[in-house]
Amino acid sequence: MQGTENPNRPATFGEANRDIIRVLLKPSMGWAALFAISTAAMIYGGWCWYLQLVYGLGVGGYNPPVMWGIYIVTFVFWVGIGHAGTLISAILFLVRSKWRTGVYRASEAMTVFAVMTALLFPVLHLGRAWQVYWFFPYPNQRYLWMNFKSPLMWDVFAISTYFTVSAVFFFVGLVPDIAVVRDHSTGLVKKIYGVLALGWHGTMRQWHHYMAAYGFFAALAAPLVLSVHSVVSWDFAMAITAGWHSTIFPPYFVAGAIFSGCAMVITLMLPLSYAYNWEKYLNLWHFEQLAKMCLLTSGILTYAYGTEYFVGWYSQNPYEWGIFYWRATGEYAWAFWLMVFCNCVAPLPWYIRSMRTNPAVLFIISIFVNIGMWFERFNIVVSSLAHQFDPAVWTSYWPSEIEWGVMIGSFGWFGFWFLLFLQVLPAVAIAEIKELIQPPTKAALGAVEAK
Amino acid sequence: MSTATTAPAGIRIKGIYAHLDCLLAGIEQLKSEGIRGFEVLSPLPRHEIIDAVYEGRPSPVRWWTMIGGMTGINVGFLLTSLTAIQWPMINPGGKPVVALPPYAVIMFECTILFGALFTALGAIVHTGLPGWWLDSALKDPRCNDDKFGIVFLRANVQDEARITEVLRASGAVEVTTGDDTIYEVPNA
Repeated sequence: MQGTENPNRPATFGEANRDIIRVLLKPSMGWAALFAISTAAMIYGGWCWYLQLVYGLGVGGYNPPVMWGIYIVTFVFWVGIGHAGTLISAILFLVRSKWRTGVYRASEAMTVFAVMTALLFPVLHLGRAWQVYWFFPYPNQRYLWMNFKSPLMWDVFAISTYFTVSAVFFFVGLVPDIAVVRDHSTGLVKKIYGVLALGWHGTMRQWHHYMAAYGFFAALAAPLVLSVHSVVSWDFAMAITAGWHSTIFPPYFVAGAIFSGCAMVITLMLPLSYAYNWEKYLNLWHFEQLAKMCLLTSGILTYAYGTEYFVGWYSQNPYEWGIFYWRATGEYAWAFWLMVFCNCVAPLPWYIRSMRTNPAVLFIISIFVNIGMWFERFNIVVSSLAHQFDPAVWTSYWPSEIEWGVMIGSFGWFGFWFLLFLQVLPAVAIAEIKELIQPPTKAALGAVEAK
Repeated sequence: MSTATTAPAGIRIKGIYAHLDCLLAGIEQLKSEGIRGFEVLSPLPRHEIIDAVYEGRPSPVRWWTMIGGMTGINVGFLLTSLTAIQWPMINPGGKPVVALPPYAVIMFECTILFGALFTALGAIVHTGLPGWWLDSALKDPRCNDDKFGIVFLRANVQDEARITEVLRASGAVEVTTGDDTIYEVPNA
């Protein structure tokens, strides 16, 4: 694969159409194997959840006062993963960044499916999942309403809004491309895509209002990138627990979210570009830009980790310093140093251009980042709760097999939807790729003929 | 585009273009001849075409976004405040019953949510989607591929010759009228 801005773009709009939709509804052996693994993981996770529903939350490894375990850790992880998609599709659209075009559709799909996965965890964490409607305001005879002053309530609104806006933005972007698939299909498949395309035929009336709406969607989605993970961080920062009660949490969480999301885009799309032979649309130039985003956000995270320690030491608050000292030297020190290695050290080779443009290095480092970011949330959630103010309640927590099963199931659930998406919808935005192609003009044709 | 040449019952005319500059020349020529009431088909959003057809008029979708956002911020404020006022004796954290800083988060989220949903509604209204019932002359898969098109759905019969002449002169590779404007996919 090339690592340049301007690879061999398709010569015509029609070529782009055919190139991108040729992979649809043709599952390969590799796809089928991954789909089977994802489905099996999802079923296993579902079985573990069933056991938890039958026997109660006691099947988890909760050990009071550690009552937030890997369900919350994994919830924050998946919400974070979603952020790169919105960053790429909305913010980079507003600043007219060229490199977003190849990667934004799959990143947006990743966002929607990651938030769908994250939304499972508050339900799983509830224990009594059937009472999930208590999260939402609904009129009732007792006039009981939720406490809107609680950060947990802010989170419900933030994540629901994020999911709704991301899903609408994703579908709106897909409509013209689904119309292309419809026009290249026959029979029942054509009818199904015809319904999904909403009767799109590329009239100027449609394009005019569509483009205006798309711009507004991007403008509305852009602040969500910053707000959603800030609100998630307030789930922690608004509590007085040492290790959580910090004003740097919102920017620290947002940077971490973009870091993990961009790494996940590399993890998912690098193999995809090879499997589908999509060098024209997705090449090492795109992945190099993603690696640069990771480098920037890794630097911000490293600074934030340092700031936490500096504030803990400089404040001379014994509880604050106690938790940070224990985090690096206590029972979970291995998780802390694994996080530091994966998030602060492992991305450093990307400062060298040849490392940013080497597919194997890109893929391996992106996996390290994914692992590191999961452990970052583990460190924040578990170590702070396990080592609170009173030494009499210091304890430890380790997830049970059921919790691990549910977490594995969440990866299966995400993989299931993402793999399904690759087979049924264009994973590269066709309409936007066409905007990068030189439009056919008679003047250009005349110049070629004159030569 | 509304026009003098559009009649309730008229003739369909369609010009298919292979080149963007020819299409733009065709649009300009039609406008300069005072012929309006046509729709343009394109496989991608080109600002030159939108500018030529809409002459800088912005889409009214922006009003939907603004009204949605304003509705959202008010819904957020009313939801949080009115529900708190129903239980004024409960005062968590010593905060006022109606405390704006924590409610600002809900108000912000509602602004974005309602803004986005109203924008989607506005887009549906103004684009005319779902467009399953569009005139068959507008359903041309070639214009989702490599071609562009100018389509009159109800042109005055007296203008037929003039319109077809303008379309041909501007470089249309195919000009059809009446039922011939409905494109049948070969081997479909």
